[in-house]
Amino acid sequence: MSRRQALTRYIGSRLVLAPVMLWLIATLVFLLLRVAPGDPVDALLGNRASALAREQLRAQLGLDQPLLAQYGQFLADLLQGDLGSSLRNSQSVREIVGAALPASVELGVTALLIALVLGLAVGFSGVARPEGRLDLTGRLYGIGTYALPVFWAAMVMQLVFAVGLGWFPVGGRYPPTLVPPQGSGFYLLDGLLAGDWAVIQATLQHLALPALTLGLLLSGIFERALRLNLRRALRSDYVEAARSRGISETRVVLRHALPNALLPVLTIAGITVASLIGGALLIELIFSWPGIAYRLQEAIGQRDYPLVQGIVVVIAALVVLVNLVVDVVVALLDPRLKF
Amino acid sequence: MQGSSRWQRRWLAPGLLLVALVLLAGCRASRRPLDGPLVVAAYGSIQTVDPAQATTVIALQLLSALGDPLYAIAADGQIEPRLASGPPQLSADGLRAVIPLRRGVRFHDGTPFDAEAMAFSLRRFLAIGKLSYVVGNRIKAVRVLDSHRLELQLRQPFSPLEALLSFASLTPVSPTAYRQHAKGFRPAGFVGTGPYRLSFHSPQLQRLEPFPDYWGQAPRNSGIALVGMSTSTSLYGAIRGGSVDVLLSTSLEPEQQSALHRRANAGKLREGAGPALEIGYLTLLSDRPPLDRLALRRALAYSLDRERLTQRVSDGLRPPLRGLVPPGIPGALAAWPKADLQRSRQLLSAEGYCNGSVLELQLTYRSNVPTDRLLALSWQELLRSRLGDCLRLELQGMESTTAYRQLGDGAFQLILLDWMGDYPDADNYLTPLLECRRGEGNRCSEGDSVASGSFWTAPGLQQTLLQSNAVSGAQRLDLLDAVQRQAANGTPYLPLWLVRPRAWALNSITAPEFDGSGRLIFGALQRREQP
Repeated sequence: MSRRQALTRYIGSRLVLAPVMLWLIATLVFLLLRVAPGDPVDALLGNRASALAREQLRAQLGLDQPLLAQYGQFLADLLQGDLGSSLRNSQSVREIVGAALPASVELGVTALLIALVLGLAVGFSGVARPEGRLDLTGRLYGIGTYALPVFWAAMVMQLVFAVGLGWFPVGGRYPPTLVPPQGSGFYLLDGLLAGDWAVIQATLQHLALPALTLGLLLSGIFERALRLNLRRALRSDYVEAARSRGISETRVVLRHALPNALLPVLTIAGITVASLIGGALLIELIFSWPGIAYRLQEAIGQRDYPLVQGIVVVIAALVVLVNLVVDVVVALLDPRLKF
Repeated sequence: MQGSSRWQRRWLAPGLLLVALVLLAGCRASRRPLDGPLVVAAYGSIQTVDPAQATTVIALQLLSALGDPLYAIAADGQIEPRLASGPPQLSADGLRAVIPLRRGVRFHDGTPFDAEAMAFSLRRFLAIGKLSYVVGNRIKAVRVLDSHRLELQLRQPFSPLEALLSFASLTPVSPTAYRQHAKGFRPAGFVGTGPYRLSFHSPQLQRLEPFPDYWGQAPRNSGIALVGMSTSTSLYGAIRGGSVDVLLSTSLEPEQQSALHRRANAGKLREGAGPALEIGYLTLLSDRPPLDRLALRRALAYSLDRERLTQRVSDGLRPPLRGLVPPGIPGALAAWPKADLQRSRQLLSAEGYCNGSVLELQLTYRSNVPTDRLLALSWQELLRSRLGDCLRLELQGMESTTAYRQLGDGAFQLILLDWMGDYPDADNYLTPLLECRRGEGNRCSEGDSVASGSFWTAPGLQQTLLQSNAVSGAQRLDLLDAVQRQAANGTPYLPLWLVRPRAWALNSITAPEFDGSGRLIFGALQRREQP
């Protein structure tokens, strides 16, 4: 079987497995939500209302149906691409996710870019003199940013740069006194497409601090990955061979060692997208960023079953998709990989 | 030269980072225009603005600015007609109330407000309202008498009808705008009669613009931007950094409330406080050992040093409370005893404790409510130091939704809760805690007393409670008095403290004002003349 055929078969098998994985995740979330004590009525009415009023509301929300019937309905809707409606405000989950997802993607992509630039720059900076001062500083930076608790770092950034210095807004995605741009939901993109500097400025102003914080915290992973892989590559036979042919050190590093060291970084970037969801939750919460992780946290607190299920399914689908794309790209770039 | 070059390399990266930060900071929007909307911040998001669907404090706060109730409670506690033009006229049997309506009122969509519109809104709320039980237990049917007179048919005579009709969820909506939503919800838009109309809505941001055809006093500002934030620290930081004009206290951490209070006292902020309508209390499981023994419940009542606890937990911002009804509401009575540790010890000794035997009780608190956790820890420590040989508290934190689920199952010996009436009347504090439709002796088996986790009642209590709603004036106050004394003697609950809604404004804004229902009056906020 040729490599191309093997790759096609591999992608096919991943695509076939993806719905099974999504079904398993959806079922698990469905069951876990029902097992957790307290339901949407308890979250909605708190410690008020009689048992009768609670039962009436439970029936109104369809929570009095047998569990199996609820599950069957959930799966039937899911197969048709219907994620249901929020129990809190009856709005379609698809609409809610559609409104919140661009905010998260905008933050996530910006943070990832910052993380890549910072991480790779710091990771690369120690190459010239291994164990030198710059290399040690880079290692400390990598360990430090990797080990920092997200909530603590985010709060410190907020206190210093927003409250103390007043350089950035404390939270939110857009100035409250202005009407947000109505377009794709990606404010930066909307501003750029419209050439509206005011929108770009307002968006950047709000995006900067959460994206910098998240990017800074993620950059340590890339720094460590690049540094270790680059060092390993620089000690490999093909690099020695290149040196012995009299190729300059700069060329050896940039043309021979770096491309090989970057391949694992690409895989890590794919995995980081999944971990972004967790990291972004705390960032979105602390900076009141109206993204999908923030909505998920609210929905869990309110026991909004359809919304939690919908968001988790969408996130799972995104993670599966991103990992698949990364796997394919790595496979295309690295001829050594076998399937 | 070489040293200089190394120095340059060393500082290049941090320098570039700093420059980038400064450049980004340079992107800061210019200062908010002085004629722009005022920014009011509060905790949480508003996912629906449909009065039939909204249940959160902040959503009801928003509705009170977008709509008008039939009656409103003024800051001095007096009931005043708003969309009603006078008090309800009750039939002789007290089962029918005719409400005259104000003329010349228009909805935000330009359609007129009349009896049909009010009836539409009330019927819609009764049919689909998430909080319809608040009204549905009282109002049986709604009938239009003529264009500006409405008749309410009541299930039983109910004297605090005007207070009930001040409930923010009963604000009328335009039948034209809500025709498609008579049996469903309209979460993202609101068309009412209030001083503001909603011009933009997202869960985290609501933009309110003054309604030019408003029948009453026009707002003193050019609009409001209501911003929801997700953490107490963000809210605190926002007012400290001056990025919001006004901050509401709901869900703000106690330490941060105290800090803002101190800043206001120092003249750095302007503070406003509303009537104390929220109570904090402890529920005692009275139908199971050991708290089925009245003496032990009374011993607990005497052991509760409210003054010290509230000072420690809230820095004095939450006044101690010795009744189930907030003192500002007619009929309130401080019937519970003051702390008396000696008396508490005597009662515990008489019950066989203190002489080598310690009464151990489990106190459950809501782990997601910071003040509850602080209170539980403080009370545990206070008892350990003063009555450690007699009484010991074991603490258990539990997420609120999980706790609410188990209240009616009798799962908690002692649990710390709070309550804010949907409308400011004694009935709305006593009935949800004491109502008992079926009971024997001091044990209630069906009713709100079960749902609230105390399972307590007393012979004749339910009858007195019902009678208190059928009469008014001094007669009603006497009956409410009797109910509260009975409850204090039985000690199924321990009132703890009062919570006043607060708001802080920058010095460039007028001091925040609240109405008698505890809502911030958005229309009264105004930028002050700068010297």
